[in-house]
Amino acid sequence: MVIERIDAQLPGAILDRHAFRGDATIVVAPGRLTELVDFIFLEGFQLLADITAVDWEAREPRFDVVYHLLNLVSQDRLRIKVPVADGEAVPSLTGRYKSADWAEREVFDLFGIRFDGHPDLRRLLMWEDFPGHPLRKDYPLDGGDPFCTQDIGASYSPEARSLNA
Amino acid sequence: MTPSCSPFLPVLLLFLLAVGVGAAILVVSGKILPGLLKPENPQRAKLTPYECGVPPLQEGARHRYSVKFYLVAMLFILFDVEAAFLLPWAVQYKTHLWTFWAMLSFLATLLVGYVYAWGKGALDWER
Amino acid sequence: MGAIMLDDSVMTTRLDSVVNWARKNSLWPLPFGTACCAIEFMSMMASRYDFSRFGAEALRFSPRQSDLLLVLGTITNKQAPVLRQIYAQMAEPKWVVAVGVCASSGGMYRTYSTLQGIDRVVPVDVYVPGCPPRPETMIHGVMELQKKITRESLSMRKDHIERFYQSLARQEELQKARGLSGYQVVREMVLEAGNQGGQQIW
Repeated sequence: MVIERIDAQLPGAILDRHAFRGDATIVVAPGRLTELVDFIFLEGFQLLADITAVDWEAREPRFDVVYHLLNLVSQDRLRIKVPVADGEAVPSLTGRYKSADWAEREVFDLFGIRFDGHPDLRRLLMWEDFPGHPLRKDYPLDGGDPFCTQDIGASYSPEARSLNA
Repeated sequence: MTPSCSPFLPVLLLFLLAVGVGAAILVVSGKILPGLLKPENPQRAKLTPYECGVPPLQEGARHRYSVKFYLVAMLFILFDVEAAFLLPWAVQYKTHLWTFWAMLSFLATLLVGYVYAWGKGALDWER
Repeated sequence: MGAIMLDDSVMTTRLDSVVNWARKNSLWPLPFGTACCAIEFMSMMASRYDFSRFGAEALRFSPRQSDLLLVLGTITNKQAPVLRQIYAQMAEPKWVVAVGVCASSGGMYRTYSTLQGIDRVVPVDVYVPGCPPRPETMIHGVMELQKKITRESLSMRKDHIERFYQSLARQEELQKARGLSGYQVVREMVLEAGNQGGQQIW
């Protein structure tokens, strides 16, 4: 399994691992991300399917940047989670994967996580001078539109927020 | 006295009628009816260039283009006029030494110009 | 407040009825299709429901050559100034039909990215509900627009168009004054209108 090989090659890189119904996830610190990605690229994980992030509002570090990779040789999938704090930057994977370009721009746009070494880090989905980062947990769902709050007095029902409480 | 009316007089009348009717249709449908029915609301926004609703990304279509097109057109005109002179001469040419040398001197003058243009690279399309 | 006020005391003359008959039977649509309602529109244009029997055979994807703006689908806040520009570039006479609930009111998307109804940024004549509306519903909507056109008069002032161009001028002023992009200016105008109790920025 590739995780064993990662452990052999880069000891201490994997902070945590879990698997669920066949998919494997490893948790890696942002400092070790580049060498890990270089290693698994040579292992055959040459398709970066997606980069996304999770905002754990109450946890420290606040965000988890999640990478989904596919091994083109063995058809294995790997998920890498990188915990980053608010304001901390993650090394960019645009050198290795072309698909990281827009995926990282999307994460920057919606969460505000910066990527070091990205050639053109600017907003992708929202417009360039949009204030705030919409997918953070403290951003109101309706964007502060008073029209949307007028009937229930809040932008969305308070109960709906606490999925991960 | 025989007043001779030209046999083409009806043709002239028909021509004037056609022009007149055409002009009347154009004026009525182009000026009078729109003047009555047109909802006139001139706005500056309506004159903006259409680029799917976003401000134009590049400044206009009047872009700078290579001067080679202009050069080719100019050279074409010159040598085409030379050919135009050559053709009627060739039609009514009778073997006369003076006629031959006159045209040849004309062509020689233009040949000098041609060699100059060739040497200067005006015929080089690539550059 | 906010409805397009039709001057009820306008008498339509015979010339008006001829002109209105011509206009309503030759509505050339600009299908501003962004989402699923556009698929239903395609179905409406096809032979079974046949929108072209209303004179709308000529689909013109240019604002200069059309007189009916059919907004089919969700309009995001980023798309709002684009929609305004398209509407501004159309020549009168022009009408707008908001097809589907996303265009009418934001639909199921009550979010930071979706414009809560295009009537906030452009004047709308007919709202067609549905998600997506069946082609028959859309045809019914256009027929209602035809009835509305019948009641128009050549001498009637179209205040809503005038107000729209004034709001466009305000938008351009704000853009120049604050150096913001069109998207942010329109968004701020919409939020400010919401704060003042109304919703429309025109």
